Amino acid sequence: MKLVMKQGAKLVAALVLGSALAGGVSAQTLTIGVRAGPDSMDPHWSTLGGQAEALRHVFDTIVMADDKLQLKPGLAVSWKSVDPTTWEFKIRQGVKFHDGSELTAEDVKFSIDRIPVVTGPMSMTIYTKQVKDTKVIDKYTLHVTTKAPAPTLPNDFIRLFVVSKSVGMEARNEQFNSGKAAIGTGPYKFVSWSPKGDMVMDRFDGYWGEKQPWQKVIRKEIPSDPARMAALKSGQVDLVNYVPATDYASMQKDRALDTFIADTIYILNVVPNVKETLPKPAKVDGKDIAANPLRDAKVREAMDLAIDRKTLVRVVLEGLGRPANQLMPANFFGGSKSLPERPFDVAKAKQLLTEAGYPKGFEMDFYCTNNRLPGDSAVCEALSQMWARAGLKINANALNGTVFFPAQQKGDYGLWMSGWGTLTGEASYTYGSLAHTADATKGLGAFNKQGYSNAEVDRLLEEGSAAMDDTKRRGLFEKASELSMTDRALIPTVQLQTIWAAKKGMMTFAPRVDQETLAYEIKPTKK
Amino acid sequence: MTGFFIQRLLQALAVVAAMSVIVFVGVYAIGNPIDVMIDPASSQALRTALIKRYGFDRPLFEQYFIFMGNVFRGDLGESFIYRLPVTSLIFTRLPATLELAVCAMLIATCLGIPLGLWAGYKPDAISSKFIMGLSVLGFSVPTFWVGLLLIMAFAVELGWLPSGGRGPVSDVLGIKLSITSLEGWSYLILPAFNLALFKLGLLIRLARAGTVEVMSSDYVRFARAQGLSEAKVVGLHVLKNISIPIVTVFGLEFGSTLAFAVVTETVFNWPGMGKLIIDSITVLDRPVMVAYLILVVLLFVVINFIIDLVYGQLDPRIRVRAAS
Repeated sequence: MKLVMKQGAKLVAALVLGSALAGGVSAQTLTIGVRAGPDSMDPHWSTLGGQAEALRHVFDTIVMADDKLQLKPGLAVSWKSVDPTTWEFKIRQGVKFHDGSELTAEDVKFSIDRIPVVTGPMSMTIYTKQVKDTKVIDKYTLHVTTKAPAPTLPNDFIRLFVVSKSVGMEARNEQFNSGKAAIGTGPYKFVSWSPKGDMVMDRFDGYWGEKQPWQKVIRKEIPSDPARMAALKSGQVDLVNYVPATDYASMQKDRALDTFIADTIYILNVVPNVKETLPKPAKVDGKDIAANPLRDAKVREAMDLAIDRKTLVRVVLEGLGRPANQLMPANFFGGSKSLPERPFDVAKAKQLLTEAGYPKGFEMDFYCTNNRLPGDSAVCEALSQMWARAGLKINANALNGTVFFPAQQKGDYGLWMSGWGTLTGEASYTYGSLAHTADATKGLGAFNKQGYSNAEVDRLLEEGSAAMDDTKRRGLFEKASELSMTDRALIPTVQLQTIWAAKKGMMTFAPRVDQETLAYEIKPTKK
Repeated sequence: MTGFFIQRLLQALAVVAAMSVIVFVGVYAIGNPIDVMIDPASSQALRTALIKRYGFDRPLFEQYFIFMGNVFRGDLGESFIYRLPVTSLIFTRLPATLELAVCAMLIATCLGIPLGLWAGYKPDAISSKFIMGLSVLGFSVPTFWVGLLLIMAFAVELGWLPSGGRGPVSDVLGIKLSITSLEGWSYLILPAFNLALFKLGLLIRLARAGTVEVMSSDYVRFARAQGLSEAKVVGLHVLKNISIPIVTVFGLEFGSTLAFAVVTETVFNWPGMGKLIIDSITVLDRPVMVAYLILVVLLFVVINFIIDLVYGQLDPRIRVRAAS
């Protein structure tokens, strides 16, 4: 009956509104509702995730990453190190830009040189910081010399987009946004975009890779979760990313929809400040104490033991996650497969606290974001309750990222939780920033605000970062992961999962671990 | 008249100055914008370089005076996030908000005043009780929730209207508008109605309260005694006499609709200014915040000025007082 009414209603609507709405979607158009979009059409403007995701359609990178974030050839067909500080990239032949000109090593060199000139506050120079100089050897060969041996350079280059040399050094965001300079080699040509608006693209028939099934791709930026879900359910878009956990159950039952679930690279970590004194002293029996209890490895272990990760996943995240035992998935380069699953044992946690001299526990504040990652504030509050069972009074404060990040950067917090995603798929990116001793001159430990310092971890990371041999480097990173995790430099809790939903039977879609929703990896279902 | 205008303008400038100080101090109190904008994997050296480039290393008052100096030269600066001139960023989104707000106010006025008049004219009728019940719903149920219900009903269940976005726009004198096409209206009508609800409830109650009071006054009795038709009594004498508070509230509400349509814009993914300002606040994009708030202050001043003129038209006593 309801169905009949619906059909009747649709008929009326069609009569009232003409065919304007009914004929909106053809099989050749893919409309995606995305939570976040780019800040500019200049691929060198920002390292923001939404930026890279959108611009991958129009521009290609030198090195590409597969759905597990492992390297594969992009505009470079191969790369090898010719000496410890020189990488040779062989550029793909016969690649055409959207304006018909041919890609050469000159364009690649231009793109690398252009980054420091044009990049914004989310600076792309983090991907070129190891580069000292670039030299064109012949039309299809490029030499990149580095300041020091840089085995991870190809990993850095998975976000290195190539623009045409013809756009010139002067082109800025305005020229790119208007489409004048948005000339890439990617599978789709730029049609239109404005900040926070829809990004419209047409298929590029001269693309060097696989021929694209979609004639037109539209990426609609719909940040509000309910609005994005309504857009899918009403048929305005074909696919949405970041389905909220609360909608997942009903969407699974909805016969008009397909859902896709995947692990993400994001792990929520508890970070204990282990500096001599805390920014705000901890309390025992309501009185400030001079010592920092978190400096004691036993206290950190107790806090770790008190975390019931399975409950966090099942109850707090509604099943959308898995327990984590290190800062990145174990199959990433340098992840450890021998680290054990973290046990949950409140009795032992209490015992360790007594041994450490806190039989009655202690009290301190605990900070986290409430709008950065799905479930961040809920996990944070659940953690504080779990610690309460071990006798600790940890006051959870879930704050807006706008407030949290500057304060965390200033070192105002004694205990906090933040999410970290290993975007490059290898360990030096994560452990080098979070677990290496903070050292501005070496450019390491930039996000080690907790004051953790272990000379052995530092040595392993530095030696690993300079080792050109993959096996040796992997071994060193694995050791660094294991050591810093046993020290509990940070306490990993859960790895998040994420969901996409699409119109039933319309497409096949293999989710990527970096959560990017790429039209050229989505295929229409054969009818 | 000119003196009055200049006085208003000076007031506006004072408010703009005070407001810009508040925004600068507020952002400063939250922290360094660079920590919100920067890539987490950036090195310390890069952070220092960026702080220098955006001038965050200078004392706050210096940053402020550099900014205000540029404002007086007509340059509101560039967005940190988009590196586009702030004015162009705001003005590309202004038509969308303007269109939405004007439609919402039209719906609220064209429905609210007649309904309110009726409810006041026949306070005991069942229809009047029904209207008053509706008006309570109008301003007591949260906008976002009604918005979601409207989407669920008209977009998801019935499939009559799109769930959000702006649809096709056409150029009218260089301004992009969606009211020119039927399809454009199909996108506009739900958010406009959603935005109108609160004001609708308010206008109904104002009109009713005024009507009830005026209906028992002497001049209405005399007008009736004079043998004027009921339509003329209500349409001419009553409406004119209840207009002053309605126009005041209309002006205030119109200003706040333009400036703070953000909830509706978010729920319906309407590409207006409200969404821009909220996004700018979450990333501490200070130039956009300041420029937007300056615009809002100016909007309120202009609207209030127009309302003062309208008062004069409506009530001769005010004209006389102003003249003397």
